[in-house]
Amino acid sequence: MSILRVEHLSKTYHLRREPVPVLRDLALTVEQGEWLAVLGSSGSGKSTLLHLLGGLDRPDKASSNGQPPVIDFQNHRLDRLSQAALDRYRSRDVGFVFQFYHLIPELTVLENVLLGPMIRRGRFAYSAHKREAKDRAESLLETVGLSHRLGHRPAELSGGERQRVAIARALINGPKLLLADEPTGNLDRATGQKILDAVASLRAEHGLTMVMVTHDPVLAERADRILRLEQGRLQPGDGATHGRGVPGSGAEVGAAKDHA
Amino acid sequence: MRVYQALLTRRYLFSKIMPLLAAVAVALCSAMVLIVWSVMGGFLAMLVDSGRTLTGDVAVTWSNVGFAHYDDLIERLEGDPMVQAAAPMIETFGVLSLPSGRQETVIVRAVEGASYARVTDYEDTLYWVPREQPMPKDHEEEDWRLRSHEVWAMHREFGLALAEPGDDGVLRPAIVPGIAVADANIRKPWGGFVPGAPAVAAADGSFRFHQQAIFNDEVTLYVAPQDEQGRVLDMVARVFPVANEFQSGLYEIDRRTVLVELGAIQAMLNMNEGRRLAPSVAFDPFDIGFDPETGEERVAAPREFVRDPARVTTVLVRGVGDGRDPRPLAQRVREIYREFAEVHAGRVPPEGDGMGTIRIQTWEDQNRTLIEAVKKETALVLILFGIISFTAVFLVLAIFWAMVSEKTRDIGILRSIGASRGGVAWLWLRYGAAIGLIGTVLGLAIAFAVILNINAIHDAIGAIGSAFGMDTVIWDPSIYYFARIPTEIVPWKVAVVFGGGLLSSVVGALIPAIRAAWMHPVRALGFE
Ligand SMILES: Nc1ncnc2c1ncn2[C@@H]1O[C@H](COP(=O)(O)OP(=O)(O)O)[C@@H](O)[C@H]1O
Ligand SMILES: [Mg+2]
Repeated sequence: MSILRVEHLSKTYHLRREPVPVLRDLALTVEQGEWLAVLGSSGSGKSTLLHLLGGLDRPDKASSNGQPPVIDFQNHRLDRLSQAALDRYRSRDVGFVFQFYHLIPELTVLENVLLGPMIRRGRFAYSAHKREAKDRAESLLETVGLSHRLGHRPAELSGGERQRVAIARALINGPKLLLADEPTGNLDRATGQKILDAVASLRAEHGLTMVMVTHDPVLAERADRILRLEQGRLQPGDGATHGRGVPGSGAEVGAAKDHA
Repeated sequence: MRVYQALLTRRYLFSKIMPLLAAVAVALCSAMVLIVWSVMGGFLAMLVDSGRTLTGDVAVTWSNVGFAHYDDLIERLEGDPMVQAAAPMIETFGVLSLPSGRQETVIVRAVEGASYARVTDYEDTLYWVPREQPMPKDHEEEDWRLRSHEVWAMHREFGLALAEPGDDGVLRPAIVPGIAVADANIRKPWGGFVPGAPAVAAADGSFRFHQQAIFNDEVTLYVAPQDEQGRVLDMVARVFPVANEFQSGLYEIDRRTVLVELGAIQAMLNMNEGRRLAPSVAFDPFDIGFDPETGEERVAAPREFVRDPARVTTVLVRGVGDGRDPRPLAQRVREIYREFAEVHAGRVPPEGDGMGTIRIQTWEDQNRTLIEAVKKETALVLILFGIISFTAVFLVLAIFWAMVSEKTRDIGILRSIGASRGGVAWLWLRYGAAIGLIGTVLGLAIAFAVILNINAIHDAIGAIGSAFGMDTVIWDPSIYYFARIPTEIVPWKVAVVFGGGLLSSVVGALIPAIRAAWMHPVRALGFE
């Protein structure tokens, strides 16, 4: 069963009124529980794709052949959601992990993670669930190995530790979909692998679906399935599936692409 | 609205210096406005109080010729529970001839000392009275009133009675001029007076000094009596001993007003009780007859004589209690006067509106121009300072604009984990409000500290200035009529300044907040 279905997805930036097409009529289906890696060179539009999937940005009104875009997340059309509904979607259904961690420097590790529930709930609802939220944040931070760093500021942490905080923050509200934008891009390979170990175990534990974009084929190897982003479209990657209990999604992607 | 805004506001607040500078600006502006407002307000309150000290709360006035049967009116007024006391007064113009040879036009208020003291704070305004403690700034104890208490006690009695015994021991009606009328005293920097020796000029260009203190001297007062129709007859002069001097605190009054014993002025103005010729319609100069009362032969034929009751131009009324608003009392006085006028119909001016009716006014009504002028000045100064304070809004705006730029990435992060536009805007508004709160609280603290110690601060500035040979005494008691800088802290003004400071910070933060809310989250995230 697919959790995310995308069709006719285009994104064109405008540089001094010159259109710069980045995504062109892209199609993608992500299966429930799958770990999908999108491999692409720098500037190929990987981040752009993730932002669209995460509701941080909106796609072009229509692709070059005039078809309106479809971004279907569990039968909800993201492309048609109101701003408030998109905010809610980002708050509850997806978690972002960025290359540059993106933690708020004034907040402690624990507070950075708690931002999720703070944003999700109103003042009184948060107060009522405060204990629960704190317990969950602490247990997540413990899972990523940071229980001794709760009161520290991001500046006092190493890059790998910061990324672990970012992962805990992405997961705090129990999202169904994790979007990771070169999560290890700023780390050395050994640290990056450890981070991916942590992500892999958390993913298994929470039954998460994950879309990870990277330019590093070695990292992509760990995913269930690899797609390549080239010229604004997705192509099946080499040695695509490891067959970790995820049904043959490569074929479906191919089919979707053929429709386009 | 949500917890994260409160948390971030708190954290930003103490990790960033710039917004605290904005708070300092807000503090200085709100302190400045409150200090100016309090001083001007204190000045106005003092002005009103000083004005009231010699006029009571409400005046019933029939100018020039005066009205009769005032004793009955006073009795009726004093019988009312709203009225504490009422007193007769004649207000007229006069010319005062001073021992120094100067002539001063003055406003003559003819009163009975005792009843006048009941209606006004006359007793407190008498200047030449015994004094136990030196005035606050009189460090050298130069004040004459600190010594020879018997002399000053005597002058107080003379002043209160508006009468002074002559050489023969018989009481003579006396005059009590305002302290600045005779210009015979020297104003000291500590705010009091010592008797001076005014120069008396002669026509040949020479001059001598008049050595006698004014309160031991005599003056000549000229007033102009009027006939029944209000036509001015010849000026009438009389010499009055100076019993004392008064200081109301209001320069306009102290410079131009003299108090004189009522009976003497009534006699001078023909407003006393007496037998007078009735106005005859036809007059035949060849008609010789006898006066029916004296039996004397007269040129004019037997004419009617009438008993004229004494008249005054004004009855002053003081209300019961310290009621600040004299209007209800004025209304009550009006009702009492109406009954009085009905009883004496045809012989006293009627009550009503418009021409030909008695005038019943509160002190504020009578001195509207002066009070309104000060009120207008206060408003003007406040508007100016308000405009200056507006710079604080722009300062907050500039600083918050820079802050939003600096924190762009945080805005992107918050949006990426689900914060709404409104939520981000609220974060900055809240931050602005917090800066405003800190600023105004600080500002009010500064203002209170300054207002409560303004005289000490002023003295210190004066002392420092004079140490460097500069004239830094701003509120010089020899220029201003109040020895101390008057201030009053009014709760509602404090509330307005507080609200204004808070509001201007929020307004300043508004545009940056809107900018933050409309930032594109992806671009904000990419911002380094
Ligand atoms: N806001 C923008 N305006 C114009 N061009 C942009 C903008 N964001 C990204 N691009 C361009 O779009 C292309 C894809 O960017 P991006 O999605 O960040 O690539 P990747 O993440 O694969 O490196 C790049 O060429 C980049 O210059
Ligand atoms: Mg990228």
